[in-house]
Parts: sequence; structure tokens; C-alpha cells
Amino acid sequence: MSDYVEDFKTWAEEIIESATNQRPSWDIESCSLEPLCNIFITTKEVVVTADLPYAEPKMVRVEAIGENMIEIEAKMKRKVHFDDFGITHRKGEFSSLLCQPRIPVPVKPEQMKISFKHGILEIRLPRKKGYEIKVE
Amino acid sequence: MNKSKHRKQIMSQPVRIIEKKPIPTHALMLYGLPDVGLVGLIATSYIISELDLDEIAYVDSDLLPPVVVLHEGLPHAPLRIYGGKSIIAAISEMAIPAAGIHSVMRKLTEWAQSKKVKMVLSIGGMPLENRQDIKEPKVFCAASNRDLLDLLDKKGLNILKEGYMVGPQALTMRYCAERKLSAIAFLAQSFYNYPDPEAAAAAINEVAKIAELKIDVSKLLEKGEEIRLRARDIMKRTQRELTHMKKSQEYDLPLYV
Repeated sequence: MSDYVEDFKTWAEEIIESATNQRPSWDIESCSLEPLCNIFITTKEVVVTADLPYAEPKMVRVEAIGENMIEIEAKMKRKVHFDDFGITHRKGEFSSLLCQPRIPVPVKPEQMKISFKHGILEIRLPRKKGYEIKVE
Repeated sequence: MNKSKHRKQIMSQPVRIIEKKPIPTHALMLYGLPDVGLVGLIATSYIISELDLDEIAYVDSDLLPPVVVLHEGLPHAPLRIYGGKSIIAAISEMAIPAAGIHSVMRKLTEWAQSKKVKMVLSIGGMPLENRQDIKEPKVFCAASNRDLLDLLDKKGLNILKEGYMVGPQALTMRYCAERKLSAIAFLAQSFYNYPDPEAAAAAINEVAKIAELKIDVSKLLEKGEEIRLRARDIMKRTQRELTHMKKSQEYDLPLYV
């Protein structure tokens, strides 16, 4: 039985891997690199963080795209080329960091609070509340 | 053959360490394997570069993905061992799969003992939720025996008294203690899933006190943004393996009544 569970886990992991990890962390067309980004859900809010090297607060733009997605874009202080990573078999220039994290629970994007400390962007989105059920 | 059987068969396969050059004996051995904030990998890579250590061996195993890293056009194993003078250092340029971590760490420890290593110094991170609010990360240490704890205390290092360790450092401590090989784990407060060169610099400063090395970390700090940009991909893959290792257990409160 545990073998089947293990096989199922492996299969699920492979699906997730193929869905999330088949694309590079850069995009030549938009001249952007994908920053590392994480989402934490607390009881009251959703906290999205992103690591934005070479960015400054005034160069960061955060925009709500619909109800369950935000776009984070940060212009970098300097342009980065594949050459800078020692890669000579590709050509490309990157001037910004760009990602579109999906928000997994309903939030109020109009009330989001943004801070930028130590190169880390932090976006706090209050969660939408449902209705209260009284305890009898 | 189903995948579980295949996995079990692979897990019984050996890990080999292929030596390319003479290995120093009675050396200190540093471990800098991918973990939270890539602290160990960044710190150890920097030490290797500053001390100009040579590649002396590499790790080969079917447990590791079929990957080579090209540097200056030449292939290198991602999990390599550097050495020179009285220091040996193991780093990995790829996340070590959770399924292979036990065998790899067991082999590295066995090999370290066969080379009469004086002490293993394992460098890593300790995830801190509000890391971005902290300017100077603290470094905590764990030791494989009581005498080393006394040494850490004497040198004024912070000791991690209670808590869980998960991943490469946990196994380093476990296997070194089993073999009665002296080992210290250095855990710098760091981001969980963002590369943290500042935490790596803090760890180097503490390692230097025990290893009696002089390493200037200013270049590492200057290159911080570049490192964070370059390390995105390996951080992402490491994060996935850490999830498989249940790394978040390090946040748990231990129960020992």
C-alpha cells in the first residue's frame, strides 16, 4: 500500500515539476528576469515577498491584476547580460525583474500595503472575510 | 518495475568519491551544501576562492541527477571537494536530492574520517521569519561533543541549545557524532528561500574564529546583489528539496520533558 502512495506522490511531484519548472527564469522578449517570490497565508492576510537585487523602492511597481493575481516589476540599477553570468552561447539583455504571483485565497487588493527593506519587497494583502457563524 | 522499487534499488547504490589530487591529511573540513539561504554554499565558495583551493576530488553517485557544470569549457561534477594547505572544502552547485542526502552525507563523513580530518565545520543557515528587519545576522553553533561545546563557549560563540536541525547539517552532526569525529555546525540567521550573502559573511566570521583563518568578507558583501541574482535558480531547486526534507520542522518547538 505504501508503495502505491509513494508512486502517487512521485507522480504528483512530476506533474507539478513539469508545470512549474519547464521555463527559464528569464524572458528575452520582455528583457526581464524572474525574481524569487514567496507567498505566506496567515489568518488575516496574505504576505507576498520578492527578492529584488539591484532594485530601489522608487523603481518598484506593484499592480493588482484582477482579484487573484498581482504583478511585481522592478527596474534594475544596471542592465544585466548573459555575459555577466559567464554565458556566451546566449544573447540577451535584462533591465528589470518581473513576476506575477497568483494569490491563492480571496483578498482586498485595494488595501494592500507595500514595504521594501533589505532588498526584499513585502506586500500585505488583507484577506476577504466571509460571514460569521454564531456559536450556540 | 514500479517506481518505489526502483527508488529503493537506487538508494542502496553506493556513493563514490573520486580523488583527482593528493588529499591533505589532518586538515579541517568545511561543508557548504545548499540549504536555507544558500548560506553554506555561498560562504564555502567564497572561502575556496579566497584561499585559492584546488579541486581535489568529486562525488559520483546514481543518486545524483545526471548533471555536469561547465566552467571555462570543461566539465565538473556539481558536488566537488577542494583542498590545499590544511583545509578541505566540499560544495555542491546543485541541490542534493532529498532521496540521496543520507547516502551522500554518510559517505562524505566516512571519507573525512579516512583522511584523518581534524574537525568538520558545517556551514548553513537558520531561517528567520523577519530576516529583512535584521542588519547583522547572528550565528549559532551546535557541536558533536561536550568538549567542543566548551570550546565554543570559551571563544564566545552563540550555542544553539534546543531545537531541530533538518537536512545536510543535521546528518553531518549525526554521522560525525556516531563516528566520534569532531564537528561544529554554524547556523547563521538567514532568509529561508532567498540567497543570503550577508548571512554567509556572518558565518565566515564565526568559522574563522575556530579555524583560525583570516578571511576578509568585504568583497563578498560588495558582490551581494550579484550573488542574489545569480543564485535564483539553485535557490529555487534547493527550496524544493528542502520541502521534501521537511525543513520547516526547524520552526518546531522540541518536546523533551
